Amino acid sequence: MKWTLLIAIAIVAFAASVVFGPAAVPLSELARSDIVWNLRAPRAVLAFLVGGSLGVAGAALQALVRNPLADPFLLGLSGGAGLGAVSAIALHLTGPWALPLAAFVGALAALGLVYRLGLIGGAGGALDPRILLLGGVAVGAFAAAITTAIVSLADAAELRNAFLWLWGGLSAASWQAVLLVALYVPVPLLVLVAAARPLDLLALGEEPARYLGADVDVVKRRVYVAASLLTAAAVAVSGVIGFVGLVVPHIARLTWGHRHRALLPAAFLGGGALLAFADTLARTVVAPRELPVGVVTALIGVPVFAFLLRRWSIA
Amino acid sequence: MRRLLFAVLVFAGCRPSDRPAVGPPQRIVSLLPSFTEILFAIGAGDRLVGRTTWCDYPPAARDVPSVGDGMPPNIEAVAARKPDLVVLYNSGPNVTAAQQLERLGIQTVLLELNRLEDLGPATRRLGQLTGLGHAADSLAAAMDSLSARPPPTPTTSIAFVVWDNPPIIIGRGSYLHQLAALAGARNVFDDIAAPSAQVSLETIAARNPQWIAVLADSTETPSFAKRPEWRSVHAVRDGRFLLLPGTLFGRPGPRSAAAVRELRARLSR
Amino acid sequence: MILTLEDVRYRYPGAARDALQDVSLSVTPGQFHAVLGPNGSGKTTLVRIALGAVPPLMGRADVNGRSASEWSRQELARIVGVVPQREDNLFPQRVRETVVLGRYPHLSLWGRESAADHAAVERALAACDVVGLADRWVWTLSGGEYQRVRVARALAQEPRLLVLDEPGVSLDLKHEMGLFELVRGLVDRHGLGVLMITHQLNLAARFADTVLLLDEGRPAAAGTTAEVLTREVVERVFAWPVAMESVDGRPQMIPLRQSKESRA
Repeated sequence: MKWTLLIAIAIVAFAASVVFGPAAVPLSELARSDIVWNLRAPRAVLAFLVGGSLGVAGAALQALVRNPLADPFLLGLSGGAGLGAVSAIALHLTGPWALPLAAFVGALAALGLVYRLGLIGGAGGALDPRILLLGGVAVGAFAAAITTAIVSLADAAELRNAFLWLWGGLSAASWQAVLLVALYVPVPLLVLVAAARPLDLLALGEEPARYLGADVDVVKRRVYVAASLLTAAAVAVSGVIGFVGLVVPHIARLTWGHRHRALLPAAFLGGGALLAFADTLARTVVAPRELPVGVVTALIGVPVFAFLLRRWSIA
Repeated sequence: MRRLLFAVLVFAGCRPSDRPAVGPPQRIVSLLPSFTEILFAIGAGDRLVGRTTWCDYPPAARDVPSVGDGMPPNIEAVAARKPDLVVLYNSGPNVTAAQQLERLGIQTVLLELNRLEDLGPATRRLGQLTGLGHAADSLAAAMDSLSARPPPTPTTSIAFVVWDNPPIIIGRGSYLHQLAALAGARNVFDDIAAPSAQVSLETIAARNPQWIAVLADSTETPSFAKRPEWRSVHAVRDGRFLLLPGTLFGRPGPRSAAAVRELRARLSR
Repeated sequence: MILTLEDVRYRYPGAARDALQDVSLSVTPGQFHAVLGPNGSGKTTLVRIALGAVPPLMGRADVNGRSASEWSRQELARIVGVVPQREDNLFPQRVRETVVLGRYPHLSLWGRESAADHAAVERALAACDVVGLADRWVWTLSGGEYQRVRVARALAQEPRLLVLDEPGVSLDLKHEMGLFELVRGLVDRHGLGVLMITHQLNLAARFADTVLLLDEGRPAAAGTTAEVLTREVVERVFAWPVAMESVDGRPQMIPLRQSKESRA
């Protein structure tokens, strides 16, 4: 029953993304419209892929770092991506894919650095989730500082506009981008879904999880890398879109509970629907102008988050 | 010159400083390329002792020492030129800079310069300050007549793209909009009052401007032209780009009429 | 023998002395084996080594005849159910949901829980007398109830050996007695082997079959409760004067107060 409802919501969100927009396309012309096929449709699909990835990554990370307030962007990836993008502009790297590629590389570099930090203190290759969180914040802040320095020292005019890109948006959606993301995303997604049971156990604590049969060290590594890879792709394609990875897992838990086997797919569909819906709003509420989608997800996410906090403190 | 355009697009109030004059200033620092051009045009060019790195016209301006890019103004560099007048564009950071310079005992003036109609008043003010009111008045009259000129019926449509991801275009609050109108091109985003705004790509595609104008100093097609999603904009697909050099088009100034002529010529090709 | 430790020696990296030295024990089905000792005597280290979490520096630790560290985590969890000292559940759960986690060692990567799995859960809930709590939220339970639920989860693993690390800590008298009775019942009725770490000398004496008494990592005494828990041994290991009584044929220790002279 609840799955039917979620799938229905997802379909409605997708349909709304395709039907509504600042360019008035009458329903009768939807099927023939170049705007619908080449701009709105890939954008809707990309919203699902990115929002879904963020939702799943957020759910998995919250279990991994044992903190229900964890968000995929706490791991320093957005700082690394921003630094990569700004460096690419400052170095005058051209090419239509230069920015996203540089952002992706920057995010991976942050991933590697935080991973390395997370190994400190853990015995023989074991990640310490608390250090992952702290390391992520530190690396993110460090990258942001270098980014600001580059922006203030270099004289490329585009640098100031790069920050707008970082705020998040699906403007760069095309079928090419969709294809790339759709080829990339299944592997880390699969790794996370396969880790569903160990994640359930990990919620009890590392020692109890071990005694219930989870290979805790392996699971931590895999989950961290897979969730980070998903987040890195999301940032490279669409900048930093906050609150999806934080709020969607909690909403999903309200209905599906904490068994990750059901939670992760629900978080995927929920995250996708939320981002598609937010993107539609971003494109239509102040038409012909467009809001950065990160603003819309924050405006939706903050009240929801406050509501969840109240519920959390009651429990 | 995108950066300068960005600066030009900011609105603020006008606050010239009032100070008893002890003869017209002889050591002027100009912190905006437009003001540099105006000062040279009214004959005060030889009094210029400082300029920004962006001030590249007229050629004689390049011989004036630079005090940095002016964003924000480098107070020490400016003060080192020992000016008796500093001319600044009226923006938030510049108000602060002007206050700091005033504390050092340097006279400053903050002038509005966002649209064509600001050119006349700014020119007259500079003429007043430099004692070259006569030359300034005739230049200002020409600028006023340009801004007062009724725009011709548009024969084509245009969109100015400042940034591609996310797409940022120029609205009717911008000086560029005015240039386009005078050159006979309708800005497809004239329903947006602001000087610039972020829009969805599909809006640009739906409004189907005949030309996409980009402020660029190179003649290469902009990199976003190759992106698949931009191909939905017919002007991009067909390569109908107007690559406008920043030095001429990025700033309102004495050459604005020439900019309009140049634009009109390119549009008719 | 489900579990055997032979002459185990272990020292933590960088430690000044061995945590365990020359320790041996064995547990068979139907045997309740307690490990006692003062703080720092190496009890938790012993559990870690027994379960293959760390390999011993010398000696062997075998589960079901195979070295503990050779077992995969999942295989081991099908044979040994552990109730560790600490558990910090991140998310609110109902009792049945948390007990179901005990079936995970038996589930394949993609398979769902079967009717057999649910039946095992019901049996575990019944054996621990928590069926009535099955739909309650775990955070609403009392300490004693929660502990029984944790034992139920370990039982849902359908282990041959149950290991409990200081299960009675922070339980009041009634619940602690109830827990020990529960464990004894599991041994008697279901034939489980039990290894229990505890500092409750008297309860161990009443309920356990065999005892290993550790003193600074070394075995001070091992054998039946009657053999081990004598006044001489207890006084030496715990460095405190005691008197020994007998209840139900089991030795019970009564710590003595300071001598009359030192009482003002």
